[in-house]
Amino acid sequence: MNTGRIFGFFAALAALVSTPAMAQREQAVELSGDVMVVKTVTEEGAEPREELVKPDLVVPGDRLVFRTNYRNTSADLVENFVVTNPLHSAVALAPDTPSSQQVSVDGGNTFGTLSELTVTEEDGTSRPAMAYDVTHLRWVLSSLEPGASGQISFYAIVR
Amino acid sequence: MKRTKQLLGAVSGVALIAMSTTPALAAGTTAGSSITNTVEVDYQVGGFDQTTETATDTFTVDRKIDLTVVETGFIGRTSVSPNQTRAVIAFDVTNLSNDTVDLALTATPAAGNDFTLSNIIIFVDADSDGEYDVGEEVTYLDEVVADGVTEVLVAADIPVTATAGQTADIVLTAQAHEAGGVGSLGTIYDAANTSDDTEANTEDGTVNPANVDTVLADGAGDTDAAEDGAFSDTDGYVVAAADVTVTKQSTIISDPINGTSNPKAIPGAVVEYCIAVANGSGAATATAVTVSDTLPVDLEIDDAFGVFVDGTVDGTGACNADGVDNANSNFTDNALGTPDEVNGTLSDIAAGVTRTLYFRATIN
Repeated sequence: MNTGRIFGFFAALAALVSTPAMAQREQAVELSGDVMVVKTVTEEGAEPREELVKPDLVVPGDRLVFRTNYRNTSADLVENFVVTNPLHSAVALAPDTPSSQQVSVDGGNTFGTLSELTVTEEDGTSRPAMAYDVTHLRWVLSSLEPGASGQISFYAIVR
Repeated sequence: MKRTKQLLGAVSGVALIAMSTTPALAAGTTAGSSITNTVEVDYQVGGFDQTTETATDTFTVDRKIDLTVVETGFIGRTSVSPNQTRAVIAFDVTNLSNDTVDLALTATPAAGNDFTLSNIIIFVDADSDGEYDVGEEVTYLDEVVADGVTEVLVAADIPVTATAGQTADIVLTAQAHEAGGVGSLGTIYDAANTSDDTEANTEDGTVNPANVDTVLADGAGDTDAAEDGAFSDTDGYVVAAADVTVTKQSTIISDPINGTSNPKAIPGAVVEYCIAVANGSGAATATAVTVSDTLPVDLEIDDAFGVFVDGTVDGTGACNADGVDNANSNFTDNALGTPDEVNGTLSDIAAGVTRTLYFRATIN
């Protein structure tokens, strides 16, 4: 009987924290991501064009595009679909990122567009946030129909 | 409503540690660092929170070789004198690569020099006295870390034949090599020791994204090309020799017949000799200038008047009477039949300055 009660206790605790075992069985959303290096190819007699190549050769200053594909593989409607992408410290968000992009400059605590955010310097003064201050990016979709898919992407520069 | 989150890391713990210790340097993320991108997704199905899923990508930051050599210290050619030894010029050598490298150094005379420099020595001024000391010479900078700046000095000897205004330059070139360990110059980073797109990730013979490739990203210096793993800059010397000219003129002061009124150069006449020493503008200060004059045997030094030094000249170049009679000591009054001698030392003569020595003699 003692054993049974302990089991029950753990089950309740697990349910309180999260339900990872259940969720693992039914992944409604499938994700796949990649990163490519954006190379500007200049050929004689042609406009310079961008080309995406595998990140085999990546050095500081290179421009990268991070892409995440998502798909609702279930038969259910997915709601409040929120994608959060922490930026690695070795890359900085590209300055030409669309101004409507939701970002965070404080480790993901608060989000907003870059122009709404400020950074507090060590000496206590405040300044407008810059692209290189960004620590997280976020995208919000209110719903994702069964079978629906899409891609989110952003550009970053290797520091 | 409670949201749940879970991170699925598809990278090893080692890689995650390496990421967190990557320092932010001007030269950039350190070569060999792996960068992993993770994505968290929160969503609801039927009003219930669902597990966050993560998509992960990892790649390795490759080695970017970049460096600069820039003239420092006195900007422009350093002023030197003929016969000066170990004249020093200075450069800053900066490793802008995202990795530690060795930097081999060469100093060569530039093309078109006016004179030939000798004993060119590259050195690092360990005791900061600004001069070359035995043991300070280097052929390469060892284990220069990313963003590391080293002041490199070059010393050279100026030939005695160099004349004022002549110039000679030296090109200092730094060539990146692998960090070969302390005290050892590694293999050169050149086209054979780097990657291009077709051979990426093959450094150890396998194609593995974790391999660290090397890319040359340096600019073109004074005498080297872009993307050759080297950079060069030029500094040099300009000779500022003293440019001394000497003029001598005489004025008859008096004669026994006419006195001081329109005197003639007849026996018994007194003649004043004015020797003017001028130093050209822009020249180095002339020091220890000695004026020696042996009088014609038929002239007798006026030992009562004496020999004056360090006077000035008027607009026509004639001596002003403002010299200093140095205790009546700057001459040798020999017996008749032996020429008298005048011998005076002038104070230092700066550029554009004229100093004089003047004395009087009687025509026998």
